[in-house]
Amino acid sequence: MKSLQIAATGMAAQQLRVDVISNNIANMSTAAYRPRTAEFSDLMYQQYLTPGTITSQVGTIVPAGIQLGTGVKPSTVSMEITQGSLRPTGSELDIAIDGTGFLEITLPSGESAYTRDGKLNRSSDGQIVSKDGFPLTDSITIPEDARSISISGDGEVVAYFESETAGQSIGNISLVRFVNEKGLEAMGDNMFRETEASGSPNRLVPATEGVGIIRQRYLEDSGVDVVQEISELIEAQRGYELNSKVITAADEMLAATTRVR
Amino acid sequence: MSNAIYAALARQTGLMNEMQVVANNIANSSTTGYKTDRAIFAEFLAGTGVGKPTLSMGGLAGHSFDMEQGGLRFTNGQFDLAIQGEGFFLLDTPQGQRLSRAGHFQISQDGQLIDGTGNAVLTSGGGGITIPEDARKISIAGDGSISADGELVGQVGVVVPNGELSRDSNTLFDATEGFQAAEEPRVLQGALEQSNVTPVLEIARMIEVQRAYEAGQSLLEREDERINKFISTLRQF
Repeated sequence: MKSLQIAATGMAAQQLRVDVISNNIANMSTAAYRPRTAEFSDLMYQQYLTPGTITSQVGTIVPAGIQLGTGVKPSTVSMEITQGSLRPTGSELDIAIDGTGFLEITLPSGESAYTRDGKLNRSSDGQIVSKDGFPLTDSITIPEDARSISISGDGEVVAYFESETAGQSIGNISLVRFVNEKGLEAMGDNMFRETEASGSPNRLVPATEGVGIIRQRYLEDSGVDVVQEISELIEAQRGYELNSKVITAADEMLAATTRVR
Repeated sequence: MSNAIYAALARQTGLMNEMQVVANNIANSSTTGYKTDRAIFAEFLAGTGVGKPTLSMGGLAGHSFDMEQGGLRFTNGQFDLAIQGEGFFLLDTPQGQRLSRAGHFQISQDGQLIDGTGNAVLTSGGGGITIPEDARKISIAGDGSISADGELVGQVGVVVPNGELSRDSNTLFDATEGFQAAEEPRVLQGALEQSNVTPVLEIARMIEVQRAYEAGQSLLEREDERINKFISTLRQF
């Protein structure tokens, strides 16, 4: 009785969908989080009678044949590339990327990680670091006596001092772009790692080649649309129930079979 | 054994297969671009021995696909495409060119337009589509033509099969008799075509199959009783 296994693949698929949705909802307040969507595709077909088989000497062919499906499988859980809304925070080390780029940070292992979370901080030695304390690859140090800093749309960081009216440029923040952002590997903590599928990072000056403009004193909100997630959740739950009905029906048919002596 | 048992068994096997078709439809009720499957039954004649009459039985003869348009889910994805009306996307798979209605595409690391499993999306002429790396804004028009920052860079092919289709996994169809470019393709950017499975119809069909199966089973039981009675009556003589 294959229907039982087929319905089980259906239930597993809907279960995965609920897992993806619950992770989205859990991250509805995570800065710059990009929602994921589970996509499915049908499993292989059992070929009982291949369409196009010749059935007579005059060349009559089977039009549709007999192909029985064997269920469903998850095909991808892809990241939606949507710009989250920008929220003003007033903090001078908060930056949001208005575009497709990522900030590049260096992990303690020397490896690069990429993030859109622009909640930056100053480390004890004045370096600009990510929320988790990893330095920006561009390595910018804010002088101790700087009164304030400003970050322009194209990434230039300017420090202002008490004694002078004109600011002093202390570095540039660059942005990184990937050919296929959906191919990035999420490593948690709002960070991504490059993969074979994403292509190699392309470092650019902000505001050029579509990489995006830097907006100081803003943070990018999570891209999760709660209303959409909830309606998807209900859909997934109903899908799960439908598949469980198939299991019940298939089981009753099996019961009828075993009743026969 | 009795002919009634043979005929009923053929029917039971057919119902089991149909149950599998229904189960597969329901399992794929969330599969992008999935088309509902309908089983077709036909009578066939089976020989019962040399010089004896043939027995008519029913069996699974084929399938028809319900090609009705599935609902559209708006995703805003730059490379999420849905076809409105007839036609299929053309994909280059390791098994050869295949047709699909699932337009969940992305760009490969070398700039090619590919589907979720890495198959290249083709133009209706069979060529690949490359998106320039530095493109800022990609827009895809109703006829499938792709423009990057206002410059035409290719056209997503929409094709119509010449004959019947055969199913492959991954919501792919194989057009065994070839295909041709659709005359008036209508592609929609930022949307995906949902599965066209109607759960209510499938559940109704499932109940029907289940009840017919149980009826067949009780026929078998009664036929068994009849033969038993016949044998015990014979013993009395």
